[in-house]
Amino acid sequence: MKAVLSLALITFKEGIRNRSLFGIALVALFLFGLNISVAGFFMRDIGKVTVDMNLSALTIAGLLLVFFVGINLMAKDIDRKTIHLVLSKPLSRAQYIWGKYLGIQFFVTVSLLLLAGCSSLTVLLLKSMYPAYFGGFSWLIFFVAVAFVLVKFWVLGAVVIFFSSLTTSSLITLIFSLGAYLAGVTIEEVVFYLKTEMAAQEQLISESLKNFIEAITWILPNFAAFDFSLEAAHGLALDSGRLLGVLSYGVLYSVILLLLASLIFSRREFN
Amino acid sequence: MRWYWPVPGLFLALVLYVLVVPGVWNQREQVRSEIPAGYIIPSKFSRILAFGHQGVLSDYLFLKTATFIGGRSSAGQPMTEEDWEYVVRSLDVITDLDPYFADPYVLATGLLAWEANKPQEANRLLQKGIDHREWDWRLSFYKGFNLFYFLQDYATAAEYIMKAAQMPGSSAYLATLGARLAYYGGQSRTALFFLQEMLEDASDPMMQQRLLKRRQALEHAVLIEDALDLFRTREGRTPELTELVESGLLDELPPDPYGGEWFIQPNGRVFSTSKFADMK
Repeated sequence: MKAVLSLALITFKEGIRNRSLFGIALVALFLFGLNISVAGFFMRDIGKVTVDMNLSALTIAGLLLVFFVGINLMAKDIDRKTIHLVLSKPLSRAQYIWGKYLGIQFFVTVSLLLLAGCSSLTVLLLKSMYPAYFGGFSWLIFFVAVAFVLVKFWVLGAVVIFFSSLTTSSLITLIFSLGAYLAGVTIEEVVFYLKTEMAAQEQLISESLKNFIEAITWILPNFAAFDFSLEAAHGLALDSGRLLGVLSYGVLYSVILLLLASLIFSRREFN
Repeated sequence: MRWYWPVPGLFLALVLYVLVVPGVWNQREQVRSEIPAGYIIPSKFSRILAFGHQGVLSDYLFLKTATFIGGRSSAGQPMTEEDWEYVVRSLDVITDLDPYFADPYVLATGLLAWEANKPQEANRLLQKGIDHREWDWRLSFYKGFNLFYFLQDYATAAEYIMKAAQMPGSSAYLATLGARLAYYGGQSRTALFFLQEMLEDASDPMMQQRLLKRRQALEHAVLIEDALDLFRTREGRTPELTELVESGLLDELPPDPYGGEWFIQPNGRVFSTSKFADMK
């Protein structure tokens, strides 16, 4: 356990030394600034627009963090062959996977929490500028939505680790993870759309397509499940059962991927 | 000091750039004003293509629609039927992406019912809002008003207005509005009550400007209607509009800010040939 944590700490330190962090922070700050300047163009729902833009900015920043920094943290060892050095230490390959995952997640979480602080300041500023248009806004629901943006990136981190354990180059990991993310974030809409289409024209849909869709929902992570931006934007009540369900879904999906990654990585040969 | 070729090259390029940029923007302005109406991706696809950012996409599309209408009006071009259909489709997509978003409903009732002569479309959109924004009395109020003023469905209208009156936060006068609506019937004064409410809602300058202009038109119509009523009680007949001035009830016929001519509708309401929309 100690070995895992110290590897996580090293990975975290390596992450925060990355220069692209400044770029990502700038992007996020730009989006928050854009929010402030755009909010006045709307008529009534300025609170909704603010929450939408803040949560989207956090998601975009998180994606950049995972894809530009996170993937490198994992793949650099393999790309540069320093993995041989690391694995010569008293550290099993499974421990290596978990240590790297925790390090990347620690790094992504700390960075996103800092950005979430900036985001809250933006919301606070706009709320004081347009107090009459923040009727339904609730800080609690906003923070819950932010927390689930984090959960989403814990799952995405596990996806990255999984593909890193399979592939030999960071570019392929990037392509696979990006593909998995885009598919995961849209899969829900596609599944429900097809289901309503199926209901509308029952006889035309083949059994195999039905099975295929069913299989997809088990394999791909449903990233839309972690999205509480609609609730945060309009201050709609949150069901604690739903929060718990989504949280356990995210945790279990990540754990399964990490265990698979540990297994694959343990049997892998490096040359 | 020795000059390197990139320095004059850069200078030349910058000068050319400064010359070219305004041209490009002017061309774009021209192109945009000539575009009949935008194409909007149906919501079943845009929900997928938003990649999880449905909220922001709805905000963006709303701004785009509002800018489209604003662009037409600042270029002095009237909205065509095709333009309004684009607005309806856009508002539909926006409210599919986020059915809780209030602004598209405000826009729908403010423009579709009043300027585009599409109160049914406005009400269809408003119903979507009423189903989702269950706490928002304004949407029921708007729908009730449209039913009353544009569609003359008084029974259903009263239902919606009463529903709005019972919701928390609704204006105190709503409860008595039903009675007043019945008294004034389809007269312009009814519309003034409603416009006042809309004006309090609209923080956007474009929308505000339009509503203020309409309020002025309605105030003028009310002025004429009042004089008309007075004439009717005195003389027992409906006069020509010019008679109101001749008899001294009005100093002059107040102008229609939209540039139309006033006339008396069969139901006694004073209306204008401009239909309270900018004349083509």
